[in-house]
Amino acid sequence: MNARSWSLGGTRHLPTTFLVARREVRMRLRSRVFVGGTIVMTVLVVVGIVAASLLAGKTNPVRVGFSGGSQALERSFTATAAALGAKVTVSDIADVTAGEAQVAAGTLDVLVTGSSTAPTAVAKAAIASNVESALSLAAEAARLSDAGLSPAAVTSAMALVPVQLLQPPNPKDNENLFASLALGILLWIALGQYGNMVAQGVVEEKATRIMEILLATIQPNRLLAGKVIGIGLVGLLQLTIVGAAALVAVHVTNVAAIPALGVASILGDLFWFMLGFLFYATAYSAVASLVSRQEEVQSAVAPISIFQIAGYLLVYAALPNPTGPLATVCSLLPPFAPILMAVRMAATDVPFWQIGLAATLTLASIVGLTWLAGRVYSNAALRLGTRVRFMDAFRG
Amino acid sequence: MTNDHNLEIEGISKRYGETVAVEELSFDVRAGELFGFVGRNGAGKTTTMRIVLGVLAADAGTVRWLGVPLTFEARRRIGYMPEERGLYPKTHVAEQLAYLGELHGMTGAEAREAALGWLDRFGLADRRDADLQVLSLGNQQRVQLAAALVFGPDVLVLDEPFAGLDPVAVDVMAGVLRERAEAGVPVIFSSHELELVERLCDRVGIIDHGRMVACGTVTELRAGGRERRWIDSPAASTDWEIGVPGVHLLQTDGSRRLFELDPGVDDQALLQAALATGPVREFEPVEPSLGELFRTVIGEAGA
Repeated sequence: MNARSWSLGGTRHLPTTFLVARREVRMRLRSRVFVGGTIVMTVLVVVGIVAASLLAGKTNPVRVGFSGGSQALERSFTATAAALGAKVTVSDIADVTAGEAQVAAGTLDVLVTGSSTAPTAVAKAAIASNVESALSLAAEAARLSDAGLSPAAVTSAMALVPVQLLQPPNPKDNENLFASLALGILLWIALGQYGNMVAQGVVEEKATRIMEILLATIQPNRLLAGKVIGIGLVGLLQLTIVGAAALVAVHVTNVAAIPALGVASILGDLFWFMLGFLFYATAYSAVASLVSRQEEVQSAVAPISIFQIAGYLLVYAALPNPTGPLATVCSLLPPFAPILMAVRMAATDVPFWQIGLAATLTLASIVGLTWLAGRVYSNAALRLGTRVRFMDAFRG
Repeated sequence: MTNDHNLEIEGISKRYGETVAVEELSFDVRAGELFGFVGRNGAGKTTTMRIVLGVLAADAGTVRWLGVPLTFEARRRIGYMPEERGLYPKTHVAEQLAYLGELHGMTGAEAREAALGWLDRFGLADRRDADLQVLSLGNQQRVQLAAALVFGPDVLVLDEPFAGLDPVAVDVMAGVLRERAEAGVPVIFSSHELELVERLCDRVGIIDHGRMVACGTVTELRAGGRERRWIDSPAASTDWEIGVPGVHLLQTDGSRRLFELDPGVDDQALLQAALATGPVREFEPVEPSLGELFRTVIGEAGA
């Protein structure tokens, strides 16, 4: 095995399936559709991530200005607000009228006037409840202190009730759910596109009549396998490029806290994408082989597309309750598992046996579909002209 | 041993529902010969060729090569030009020829070299990086033939290779086919251009309604047909009756007449009868062309 023998198209006789797959990869990589599509997808995903990170960062602190005697509340207010989870900034306001003007102009959110024991708050519309509570608690502490309690007594009197959570918070929160949903749907759309590409490719070879020359030298199953593998690899490459750009964007914008955008989760998505692609590409290729003209492809693949659309709708139906019976059962069924299981895995902790069962069922159905598609394709590939009936092609 | 290198078609039959496409068809194409396959449209030529290539399964019969039934691997060594031309329209000419060469088992380097060699041979060296679809139909046809030849096939099966070619291209293609035959490759091709088939082929098979109605060299086919004589006897009256049994007048051209003799009729009796009218300026045997033979054979088969 010298280096030359491994170079593509060098001096070795290569298996026909490999040759077909290599041709698919070469032709697709060269096409404008691939180059343009990859650029557009990459830009969209990166822009989406950057936009998401900007939106996430936009919980601006509440600007609170204190005037006169109420300025004594600033320290205790800031501490209490932090304890209540409110982000605030405080500032001294010398003149009440000027302060009110600032509130009216929107450069200040809340103006506190009056004494430290009886302050009054001025705001434009409403005050966030935790900010209001922090202010009330700060005034309360000032009154207790005024009544002669020692600072330690005041602190203990004002202590917040500790809350013990029986169920730890789910790290797979809303942001994460949104991200996983977006990823799942993107992959599902990509899967549909690559499936259609296989269907178009099958019909192209019938329409251009090269099929007869090809089938005189290569078995139909190998031709079909080469086509599916080649287009699948192109799809995987495109998704890898987009995925890599997405990971870089996630790293740079620091929204990496979202687990759905982590490496493990994305690898899981790619795994389900591959299974879904094999399932649908094989099904698409079988029905596409029944027709001879490009115009007929869409109507030929319609029965398969219905499953894809159903899978898409099921995501919305199942997602509110990712552990419910609808989501659980549908995520085990091969036509929907690739998207539903991927989304469920991001949304909740799916029991391992369910993941294993879904993957096994999907793989088994891919094996069955490959046999079926190979049979239909072999029988229909050389029947040109009118559309071949599925059962005729199946019987041969 | 030479017999082993014949492509033998033995008793193949194919029906489409009630329609008989080919019935009990048997013939062989010998190593080193050009075999012309002629017949009317729908006679069964394309069906036969597709069965030989294995892209169509026969209902009965076998195709043998090297003395054994054709396997898939052996079929891959057949160069094929289907009736329905087909290559990738949006792929560079040299690239797809090389691809087909590799599919037929060549290495990448061999396939590229062969592709460029054939393009050069067909005068398309400067179009190697053009998409097939921008070439003229005639040039696409040349590429199609190159696709059948690129991997150095052991057998050539060509469906109407001369259709749509200009006279120069016909000569180039005829030369290539002759050269392949001389290299020991059995070559079978179908054509409606009977003059070309007669000039080019060692043997001819005439198929009609799925049956081989005549098969052999043109000379052999002629022997099976009826003899004809032109006679120029200026003194004979316009309503002269030859009066020889088994001799029929086919056509008249001034004082010249064309007669056809039933099998076994002595042409000297015809000459004697002509001399009886006066001087005979011309007495000429006519070699029927393949076209005439074809019409005779098909006419008989159809009757």
